[in-house]
Amino acid sequence: MRNRATTPLKQPKIRQSWSKYNLYNLSRLRDSYRPSATFFQQKWKSKAAARAYHGEQVSEKQWSRMFSPRLRSVVPMAPSNLARDDGSAMSAGRGSGLTKAPKPEEQPAFGEFDEEEEAARSKLTGFEADRKTPYVQMTFAPLERRLDTAIFRAMFASSARQARQFVVHGAVKVNGKPMRYPGYLLNPGDMFQVEPERVMYATGAPKDKVERRQTRVARKKAAEEAKKAEEAAEEAAAEEASTPEEATKEEPTPVEAPRETLKALMAQAKAIMNSSKDVLPAKRKQDLRGFQKAVRRVLSRSGNSTVLTANLEEQFSELTTLLKAKRAEKKPVKAKEETEKKEGGEEKQKAEKTEESATEKSESKDATPKAGENGPITTKLSEAFRQAIQNPEKDVDTSELSDDEFEVLRRALVQMRDNPVDSTKPYATPWRPRDYMSAFATIPRYLEVNHNICAAVYLRHPVARPGFAEVPTPFGEKINTPAFVWYLRRR
Amino acid sequence: MAQRIPNHLVSNTLLPYLSSCPSTSLFRLTTACTSSSLADASRPASRSFSTTRPSQTRLRREMIRWLRGKGSEMQHHIPGQTNYITHTNKPFPANPNYRSDPILSEDLRNEIHNQVTVQNKSVRAVSVHYGVDMRRVAAVVRLVELENQMKEQGKSLALPYARAIHEMVPVTPLPVEWERRTAHEAINDLPAHRLTDPQIFYPVSESRQFNRIDAGRVFSAAPAMANRHAEQLQANPDETIRKITQESPAKIEKVGKGDGEHQVLLPADARIPHPHMITHERNRLTIGKTEPGEVRQKYRARLEQETAVELQRKERAQQRLDMKTQKVQPENSRFEFRFTDVVVSRETTGLTGRGHMAPGRRYGVPSYDRKKGQVKIPTRVQV
Repeated sequence: MRNRATTPLKQPKIRQSWSKYNLYNLSRLRDSYRPSATFFQQKWKSKAAARAYHGEQVSEKQWSRMFSPRLRSVVPMAPSNLARDDGSAMSAGRGSGLTKAPKPEEQPAFGEFDEEEEAARSKLTGFEADRKTPYVQMTFAPLERRLDTAIFRAMFASSARQARQFVVHGAVKVNGKPMRYPGYLLNPGDMFQVEPERVMYATGAPKDKVERRQTRVARKKAAEEAKKAEEAAEEAAAEEASTPEEATKEEPTPVEAPRETLKALMAQAKAIMNSSKDVLPAKRKQDLRGFQKAVRRVLSRSGNSTVLTANLEEQFSELTTLLKAKRAEKKPVKAKEETEKKEGGEEKQKAEKTEESATEKSESKDATPKAGENGPITTKLSEAFRQAIQNPEKDVDTSELSDDEFEVLRRALVQMRDNPVDSTKPYATPWRPRDYMSAFATIPRYLEVNHNICAAVYLRHPVARPGFAEVPTPFGEKINTPAFVWYLRRR
Repeated sequence: MAQRIPNHLVSNTLLPYLSSCPSTSLFRLTTACTSSSLADASRPASRSFSTTRPSQTRLRREMIRWLRGKGSEMQHHIPGQTNYITHTNKPFPANPNYRSDPILSEDLRNEIHNQVTVQNKSVRAVSVHYGVDMRRVAAVVRLVELENQMKEQGKSLALPYARAIHEMVPVTPLPVEWERRTAHEAINDLPAHRLTDPQIFYPVSESRQFNRIDAGRVFSAAPAMANRHAEQLQANPDETIRKITQESPAKIEKVGKGDGEHQVLLPADARIPHPHMITHERNRLTIGKTEPGEVRQKYRARLEQETAVELQRKERAQQRLDMKTQKVQPENSRFEFRFTDVVVSRETTGLTGRGHMAPGRRYGVPSYDRKKGQVKIPTRVQV
């Protein structure tokens, strides 16, 4: 399907898109009222403007079949009001409408409830009877059921067209099953998920010239290396065939002094975490890559081969063991036992420390996800390491490390893991949101979105309530009313 | 084609996540940078091989001016703040009727999941406690489960993206224990029923209390209740509403004939998601001042009773389904085959014989499923 969703400047049209052109057009949008226009002209113009935004990818015939003159709405009810009065006072009609419906004594905060509190604080939903329900803003509510629109609304794609492409290209699942129809109408309770990589690409900043070039270079290099490795393997195979007795010799890896390694690592981590603005990004990236490499190098020295892919706590603890202990084969569990033995008297201090670390964890949003039962053990482990490091008698090597420094190292590792520099990705790495995204960032109430896994649940159909309508539309009632009237059968 | 806007400020100073505060935002643009780029806005960016000027219309120049001036505020977000054109929580300047509602914070989500799955609290209780819609509570549990599953499988998550979104959009935080809890959303929404659309003029004698139950009957064109029965219902409103909500929906009175048969509209007290809260409020109004402990105890008892009834209902439904289905699992097979009897009756075919509930071809009833205008893509995905 050809993309006709252009964003012209001359006759501006608002689109379901996060582009800066669209943002500019949105900033210029006025509820223009032309008194000279006929009723038909008003309706036509309004409908054209509204349809350029709502379901632009849906044909007019299809939409007019979807249109329903019944607009859903709800009234938030306050149980305190319902409890006070069974409705008979209102229906008695004394005062002929001069007296208003009973209001709660105070205007409560919106939707407040606490079962344990005093009666005075028990007011539930705000009393919103004074506000009108904006029904016509719900004109295009049936389109919000479409899968592609819902993906755009959940902020998984930067435009409805892109969302549509994701669906067509098979990156979307509904209730765990692949769904290739962008026109699939979600039912309440349906869960849809998009591949996180696609979402990162759609919402992340694009690569700039330099990064694209780096990608090309990296790709070429990788290809060459692969070719070389292949050739080498072939040669080795040929050699083995000729002389099978010859044992392969391992190159002795140069073992650096752990103390120096740790120092260098810390310096790098600090340089990276340093938030001075003068440092050029290229330099920064180099730093980061260097750090990444250093960590890899240190970790690769450990006997445990799974550490490189294991979870962060494990990596961290492994790293610290490797650097602290002179014997690389020392197992983390042993270390923990030893520290516990040594510090039997310092139980109190330890307890305090764990508390501290717990609070730190909860504070920092990027607390590491714990994999299964491994979690508590590894946290304990890392705690033990910290203890060991604070204990001056035990190891002279790492005694200079302060708590802050450790935190820095940990954070650098976390960030490196969560948001790595990776030239193979189709977006600028480390990931950052694309420009002008925040101006469009809103998630409507009828969706419940989990952005970590790029999945969302369509809870219910959008509704209007006093003062607010849930359909995200850039147009006011002056446009939506004539548009609604247009789609009523008799115009 | 018109020249694309040169983006002078692409690679901004720092990598987002390496700042000391946990934020994905880039540093705001420096004014020096913008002013220098304003100067060369008029002349085209360097084009060494062409002498023709790029087509820069007035509109385009204006747009670029706007993007470098006012629009530059929107380019990057400020963590913990919305960043809309309107500088309020309304993203569309021409639409005051749409506001950007807060989403659940990650802590709150995890807490809800914990309370439902680990602490085994009912969805209803958690919904009331945090002021989150019951459907949302259920969805949160489902999504967090999926997240945990994906983590276990070692699938990649979109963590930096999620963090960025939570910085851009208003968020409901997990309430601290001692702080006053504020609700995430209104949990007692009453959907406007189709039957309540018309305005009805209905004369009632002054001697009679005309309450919400009666109004529902009038809207659904049901005959008025006998006075004695109405008085009985009115005597104990809590019990009345409890019975209506906890009995099976099949017991709701019906009026009309044939296709026009419909249930009598229930009062608002029974149609809101948490009718038990009305009972609680009533207890509070009557004995709340003198015996607050009893009110609390009653509330808990009622919640437990609600949970028990819901559980019972679910079990019964499961039993009914088991009775209907015949399960066959062949030896050495991964699959279990489930057979249910086909029912072609008045209820499934409808009076016209065209009801979609009944399967199969019926004489004289053509299937229109391939006709123009019929929906041919899937309409539901069953798990």
